[in-house]
Amino acid sequence: MSAATDPVHDGGTPATAGAGGGRRVPPERAAGSTTAHDLAVRHRLLLALAALLTLSLFLSYEGVHGDADPLRTSSAPAVLSLDTALYALGQAEADAGAATPTSDFQKQISVAAQSVAAAAGDDAGGPSAQQALQTVAALITVYAVKVQQAQQQPTGSVLREAYLSYATSILADPGSGILPRLKVLQAQRRAAVHRQTSFGPLLWCGWAATLLLALALVCALLETQLFLRRRFRRRYNRGLLGAGALLLAGLAVTLLFTVWTHTGMTDTRRLLDRPLSGRELNHAGRATAAYLADTGLRAAAAGWILIGGILVMALTETGLRRHIDEYRFRPR
Amino acid sequence: MVAGCLVLLAAAVVLGARAVGREPTVTLLANWTGRDETNLRRAVIEPFERAYHVHVDYQGSSAESQVLGADVEAGTPPDVVVLTGPGELADYAGQKQLQPLDGLIPREDFGTSWATPLADGHVYWFPLKADLKSIVWYPAGTGEGQRRAARDDPAQWCVGMGSGATSGWPGTDWIEDILLQQQGPRVYQSWTSGKLSWRSPEVRQAWTTWGRLMGAGTSEKLLRRTLKTGYAEASAPVTATPRGCTLEHQASFIRTQSTAWKQADGRYDPSAALIPGATAKDSWEVSGDLVALLHATPQAKRLIRYLSSPAAQRAWADAESAFSVDTRARPAATGPTWHRTLATTLLSPAATHCFDASDAMPPTVRDAFAEAVIDYLAHPARLTSLLTTLDTLRSAPGQTWLPAVCDQVP
Repeated sequence: MSAATDPVHDGGTPATAGAGGGRRVPPERAAGSTTAHDLAVRHRLLLALAALLTLSLFLSYEGVHGDADPLRTSSAPAVLSLDTALYALGQAEADAGAATPTSDFQKQISVAAQSVAAAAGDDAGGPSAQQALQTVAALITVYAVKVQQAQQQPTGSVLREAYLSYATSILADPGSGILPRLKVLQAQRRAAVHRQTSFGPLLWCGWAATLLLALALVCALLETQLFLRRRFRRRYNRGLLGAGALLLAGLAVTLLFTVWTHTGMTDTRRLLDRPLSGRELNHAGRATAAYLADTGLRAAAAGWILIGGILVMALTETGLRRHIDEYRFRPR
Repeated sequence: MVAGCLVLLAAAVVLGARAVGREPTVTLLANWTGRDETNLRRAVIEPFERAYHVHVDYQGSSAESQVLGADVEAGTPPDVVVLTGPGELADYAGQKQLQPLDGLIPREDFGTSWATPLADGHVYWFPLKADLKSIVWYPAGTGEGQRRAARDDPAQWCVGMGSGATSGWPGTDWIEDILLQQQGPRVYQSWTSGKLSWRSPEVRQAWTTWGRLMGAGTSEKLLRRTLKTGYAEASAPVTATPRGCTLEHQASFIRTQSTAWKQADGRYDPSAALIPGATAKDSWEVSGDLVALLHATPQAKRLIRYLSSPAAQRAWADAESAFSVDTRARPAATGPTWHRTLATTLLSPAATHCFDASDAMPPTVRDAFAEAVIDYLAHPARLTSLLTTLDTLRSAPGQTWLPAVCDQVP
């Protein structure tokens, strides 16, 4: 690979046409030039590095952004819906004991039922959670009926007390009541939020590997550029320069997108990590939407990583192909 | 070439990662919660999941009827359901919501009174476990004279009407059993089939007999205790000092569910021995947890076959100290006397077994019956009005009544 072993290191493209129009083999090849071999090694190395980097970047990017969409459209809204249902049922329980029937009770029951329906509609947690939410929805109706039966009895009567105790057991019995069921579902959804927003060891490894591969590819591109400058006439290889520029720009954009998305996801987790009630719920809904805005757009960029990787490989191929072709035919 | 491989590899990795963890699932709805749910998972569900690699999504609720009703209305019912009410199941079968079990279960091993063919000739359910209800529990060492004396003191009855969404059912069991013991299986079956009026003297006598036993309308303290106590906690005063109550009219399951009856080494009398005016011979009210199929998926059918197998029947009966009526899953000859005699009675061909009347009635009538017993205890003077309301519901059109609930009617 060194210039000392290759007499055309300053000549660039070797002569290809001799007297009589026949192809003249450069004398240095016959003398054992390593240029063809060096070109082939660099060609394979660059393509392999580009392919590995593309794969690594794609998987690492997906590892972060792939969870952003389910978090935005499913898990985070489900946590908020379940918080709303729990808060509304707590309010309803307080209203259930009122001396006379109040519209507040009906309103809170309605809010709880709608929130449970919304949580079910968010499709978070799979069929098991859907079934559990349907059960809760039915139990809320039964609870409301028992409270209404209590409220139809005279204040202070034993029957009123009895129906209220039945209602309370439907609402709060450990394990089988509405509130314990909702708390179990809520804990599952919070665990899903944690899972989706965590930057675990696998992601750290993935991104570390990606950055190392990117560094290796940049170095390899630079070294190849210098190699070509030494061996051939052209000062710059446009293909390799284009590949390097695309690589750096693509890497910068994906890193920026990842930092933005992960910051939004972390902020969302911090917000949802504790039970919310009253006005906090309204604020949390708006804040979550703001934190996770545009994450879907950024997640959709994953496909461009594959396209970008193919372009980098194509530019590398274009940049090296001309020189490789010059050395394709070997003396017989 | 390299790029193509890369794209394929990336897609395969992503899709593969998403596919991991998915396995065939069957959804199961029943009324078992708490300790019963734990037993079900340990004794029945987990062995099934291990053997067949099918995940069971279990939902348990005391408001099972309402949950199932909502699920069916929403078009997303569970695959398999375990209900206590054949009346409700017959209703769903009439709406074409149930799938026939022909070829899935060994019908001959359960007997026709348990796996009842409907008018279309198909069987839609089979029992997972059964309980005897015409029994009265008392602490070991309580003499016959003491039991007779306790019977006539309302405060000595351990009773609790509370059961969440289904509160009141312990009272319906009482009235049904009194009617069966006083009037015999023929009248009981006529009433359960919707033919005998709620305002008939026989039914009215059953209500008033119960009212006297419970001391209805005599003490607000007693009423408060009866209405506000959960059925599962009703026997707790048995072990209090001084003893708070002595007798409990409750199904066989309470002997193993109640810590108090375990501590008091509970024994039982046939309820016929204590119910005033009982004339029926060897007649027993029974209940069962009945399994039905709503979605005939391969996994659901596999679960049905498994639940009807002697191994699953025995495992569930052992876990709950309950009884299977599968002739292939007879209990061992060992065990306490009360358990062996209850099992013998449940399987005896000489005895008359009549299914729990309220469970066999259409759901609307069953629910109104449970609410009526609560109202009656608080306001016994309203009995005529309550019976008239129930009779109006009985006459409502479009309801499915089971033609027979007793395995033999003399």
